[in-house]
Amino acid sequence: MRMEIHEQACRGCRMCVEICPTKVLTFDEEACLAKVGKVEDCIACLSCTYLCPSGAIHQEDYPRVKNFYRDLEFCGRMEKFL
Amino acid sequence: MNAARKIGLNLEWLSDCGGCHVAIVDVHEKILDILGAVQIQHCPVLTDIKDYPHADIGIVSGAIRTEHDRHVAQEMRASCDKVIAWGTCAIYGGIPGAALAHSREEILQAVYTRNPTTRTNEAPHSQVALLEKQVIPLDEVIGVDMYLPGCPPHAAFIFDALLALVEGRAPKARQETVCARCTRSMKKSEETRLKSNHDGIPDPDLCLLSQGYVCLGSVTLDRCLSPCPSQGVMCTGCAGPTMQILTEPNRDLRTEVADRMSRLTAIPREEIVASMERSGKSHYAYAMASKMVGEKPTFLIRKWIAEVEEEA
Repeated sequence: MRMEIHEQACRGCRMCVEICPTKVLTFDEEACLAKVGKVEDCIACLSCTYLCPSGAIHQEDYPRVKNFYRDLEFCGRMEKFL
Repeated sequence: MNAARKIGLNLEWLSDCGGCHVAIVDVHEKILDILGAVQIQHCPVLTDIKDYPHADIGIVSGAIRTEHDRHVAQEMRASCDKVIAWGTCAIYGGIPGAALAHSREEILQAVYTRNPTTRTNEAPHSQVALLEKQVIPLDEVIGVDMYLPGCPPHAAFIFDALLALVEGRAPKARQETVCARCTRSMKKSEETRLKSNHDGIPDPDLCLLSQGYVCLGSVTLDRCLSPCPSQGVMCTGCAGPTMQILTEPNRDLRTEVADRMSRLTAIPREEIVASMERSGKSHYAYAMASKMVGEKPTFLIRKWIAEVEEEA
């Protein structure tokens, strides 16, 4: 899987670093930015992605757990957002 | 399609302030890049065309507030191949949608009979289009092909959206929040007190949440380039909620803000949630008319109104 943090969007709050259960993320003190460390440890719980205030964390090619409670009609609509 | 043929564009304006149409002009001289490929036909602020000629693209701003709005929306759908819901009012109901917290009679009384600047004793019965029962987002009345939220959407997003349509490619817009463009740094603080917007002057470099101000930046889609928080004004959520709030029924504005704010400050999560519930109408104003928010199990404003009415 791949994981990226959009540098310009990161506000340096460290919330993602703290919530990650498998310590995938690290913090660059000098730049005051969160960085992806060991991506191979990621269990794709997406806690960091959901908590990130900026929505700056993106994962790709991760094992998807199907969310039975998602509203499919609204999810379909999201794809049309410009 | 003939390469020389220009793309027909109809624009229409329903119940909104008009800012979304003005925002198109904010594209400034870049609009020339678009006008080379586009023919503007029906547009209330630019052209004097009263009917609805056939168009490839229709841009509709504003919510359905009156019967006239509904009629116009249907005319736009019939005349345009692709309809874009343009701006927060068209997508979520926007500020007019906050009328959900009041009955139609209350609104008519406030505007006509109890208006201190007029001497009318009754609401007009003719010549003015009748109000719909409540404010309705565009896609509950007509099919919508695309959405561009924002109050109004920033010219950068408008330009890219229009150019993407002209060039037939996907727009570059990200699904990040207002925080993503904010210039403040989000650091942990020892703040213990929730502040209101008239409480002192915020530190210009530190995140407003860290300072105890309830800012909706982290729960609001960035279609504005974050002018408010960057200038010291709390985000009020004008571009509508983020994708995760819209798609996950149990994630909500107040819980997400409280979650992040309680991690950044020493203010308890419950206190933040309670405070946001007390000013719920302000925090949910832009999107409460939409089923996307109004039908969430966490959206309780209707229940709270019913409880107050029962007591009265």
